[in-house]
Amino acid sequence: MISSIKQIPKHALLILLCAFAIFPLYWMVISSLKPLGEIFTPSMFPSAPTLENYTYAVNNVPIFRLTLNTLIIASVQTVAQLVSAVMAAYALTRWEFKGRGLIFTIFSLTWLVPMQAIMIPNYITITSLGLRNTMLGVILPFTASTFAILSLYSALKSFPKALIEAAVMDKLSEFSILTRIVLPNIKPAMVSLGILLFIHGWNEYLWAMLVNTRIDQAPIQIGLQQFLSLERNEWGALMAAATLSSIPIIALYLALQKMIINSFVKWGIK
Amino acid sequence: MKKIVSFILVACLSLSLAACSSDSNDTANKPVKIAFYTYNYMAQQKDGVDKLIADFKKDNPDIDVEVVYVTSEEINTKIQADIAAGVEPDVIQVVFDALDFAQNNYGVQDLNELVDKTELEEHLKGFEPAALNVAKIDGKMLGLPYTFSTPVLFYNATLLEEAGLDPDTPPTTWEEVEKYALQIKEQTSNDGFLFGGYLLSDCFLQALIKSNGGSIMSSDRTTIQYGEQPAIEALSMLKNMVTNGAQPKITDSMQGVEAFSGGKLGMMLYTSALQASMIKAADEGGWELRTAKMPAFGDKPAVPVNTGSGLFICTKDKAKQEAAWKFIKYVTSDEGYTVITSMMGYPPLRPAIIEDERYLKKWAEENPLAGPNLEQLKIVTPWQSYPGNNWYQIEQLLMDASVKAVFTDADVAQTMQDAQNQAQSLMPKK
Repeated sequence: MISSIKQIPKHALLILLCAFAIFPLYWMVISSLKPLGEIFTPSMFPSAPTLENYTYAVNNVPIFRLTLNTLIIASVQTVAQLVSAVMAAYALTRWEFKGRGLIFTIFSLTWLVPMQAIMIPNYITITSLGLRNTMLGVILPFTASTFAILSLYSALKSFPKALIEAAVMDKLSEFSILTRIVLPNIKPAMVSLGILLFIHGWNEYLWAMLVNTRIDQAPIQIGLQQFLSLERNEWGALMAAATLSSIPIIALYLALQKMIINSFVKWGIK
Repeated sequence: MKKIVSFILVACLSLSLAACSSDSNDTANKPVKIAFYTYNYMAQQKDGVDKLIADFKKDNPDIDVEVVYVTSEEINTKIQADIAAGVEPDVIQVVFDALDFAQNNYGVQDLNELVDKTELEEHLKGFEPAALNVAKIDGKMLGLPYTFSTPVLFYNATLLEEAGLDPDTPPTTWEEVEKYALQIKEQTSNDGFLFGGYLLSDCFLQALIKSNGGSIMSSDRTTIQYGEQPAIEALSMLKNMVTNGAQPKITDSMQGVEAFSGGKLGMMLYTSALQASMIKAADEGGWELRTAKMPAFGDKPAVPVNTGSGLFICTKDKAKQEAAWKFIKYVTSDEGYTVITSMMGYPPLRPAIIEDERYLKKWAEENPLAGPNLEQLKIVTPWQSYPGNNWYQIEQLLMDASVKAVFTDADVAQTMQDAQNQAQSLMPKK
C-alpha cells in the first residue's frame, strides 16, 4: 500500500510529461478541424468542427502522392545508408591495411562539413547527371552517411574477434561471415540506427527543395510548405495536411515503439 | 537468349529512328519552352498563376511556360544554384530587396536594350507611373513590377467602437495611432496597435524612416543612413508605444496577424497582400474589418514603400528572350492584372482597369477595403535595394537593430548608429 502511494508522484510526473509530449499532436488535430475564425483562439475543442481544411488541403496539394514519395525516398535512402555503412565499417574493423587510420579520419572530418557548404557542388553534379527533378537526385548524395559509418564502426569494433576467426577456420567466405555471423549479431544496432536514419530522411527539406521543382516528384515537406509564405500562413490547411501526412509515421511509431525508444537511448537524440 | 538480345537491339534501333524522324518533323514548329521561377505558387495563389499561363497559352500556342516553384525564402538560392549548374533560368520573380544583386549576378537585362523601344513604351503607358520606378536602378528598366503591395493600416472597427472611438475616422498620424491604441487597451483590455514590419523584411522600416523625412541609404547608394536622426526619432516613437503599453511586445508579425485575425488586436500596419485572409477571419470571427492609409509623422507626408516583386528576363537565347518578353508583357497587361488582383490578392498596377467593366470594376465595388492601398500606389516609393554581395546582411542589420532599439532597454541612437557603422563596412568598396 505504502509503496503504491509512493508511486503516485512518479506516475503523476510521467502523466504530465506524456501530456506535454502529446499536446502538439492534439493541437495539430484540433486546429485542422477549426474554421478560420476560430483557429487563432486558444479553445481546446473546435466549437463547430469542419472538414473544410482537409478538403482544401487535399484539393490543392497531392498529399497522398507526396507522402508516398517521402516514404520511398526515406526508405531507399535508409537501406542504402545501412548497406554502405556496414560495408565501410566492416572493412575498417576487419582488416589492418595501409591508410586505414587516414580513411577513418577523413570519414570523421566529413561529418563536420555542414550540408549547406556542399549543397551547390552536389547540385551541380546531380544536374550534370541529368537527375534534376527526380527522386534519385534527392536520394543519391545521401546514400552514404558518416553518422551511420561511425556508429556501426563502434558496434563492430566491439564484436568478438574469436567468432570471426572461427568462421574463417570453417572456410566461410568474407561475404558469408558478414551476412551469416556479423549481421545477425548486430541486428538490434542496425534496426535502431535504421530508424534514426529513416526519421532523418523523412524530415529532409532544403536539398529536396533545391533538386525538385516538380510537385509530383517532391517529398511531403515541400507540399506542406505550400501553405506557408512570408506574409501569410494557412494554418488550418497546413495542420490538415500535416495530420494526414503524419499518419504513416505515427503508425510506424506505434508498430516499432520499443525499438525507436531503444534507438534514441542508444544513439542519443539527434 | 540470343533472340532476346537481338529483339532488344532492334527495338532500341527502331525507337531511336522514330525519335530522329519525329525530331526533324517538329523542328520547324517546336514550341519555345521558358522556365518561370516563381514563389507565388503556394496553394492559395496557384490557381491564379495557372490561369495566367493558360490564358497566355491561348494566344501563344508556340510558347510553353514551365513553372519552377520555390519559396520566397529560397528563390535566390535556387536561382544561384541553377546558374552555377548551367541551367539558365528564363524568367525570374525577384523580391525587390535583391534587385541590385539580381542585376549583377543573375544576368538580368535592361528592358530598354532587350525590347523594341516603342513596344515597351506602349506597354508601360497603362502602368501607375510611381509603380514603374520600383524595378529601376540607375535609370535602367530591369524588369516589370509584378505582385506587390503597400503597408496598410488594418483596423478592427468593432473594437474601436467598443473603446468609444469613431471607426469612420481612423488615425492618420502616429500621434493618433498611439492615442487610439492606448484607449483600446484601457477600454477593451485588448492590445491596441502593432507595427507589423520588424522582421518581415526592411521595407516597412524603410517606409517608416522615409515618412519621417529620412532615408536608409544616400541617393547615390554609397552611404548607409539608417543611424541618422530621422530613423532614431521614428524608432523612438515605436519604442515609446511599447513602453507605455500602446503596442504589445510582439516582434514576429505572424504572431501579430494571428492576434489581429482572432480579434484581439485593434490595429496593425501590415502588407495589403493579407487583405483577403483578414476579411475571411473577420467574417468568421464576427467583427468588422476596415483599412486606412499608412499613418504620417505630423504634417510630413507618409511615404508608403512597396513590398513584393518584379519579373525579370535572364535568358541569353534570342528566341527565349522574345518568348519571355511576350509572357511578362501578358502577365502585366490589363487581362493579367485582372487575374493577379482578383485571384492572387495583389493590387492592379494598371489603375484604369478598376473603372473598366471588362476588367475590375465589379471587383472594386465588391472590395471597398482595397481603396487605401490603391490610393497609396499613386505615391509609392521604391523599396531600396542595398548594393553588393552583402545586401542581405545590411538589411538584416537594420531589422535586428530596430528590434533591439524598440523592445529592449538599449539606447535607440547608439543601437542605430552602431548598426549603421557595421552596415557601412559591408558596403562595396569603391
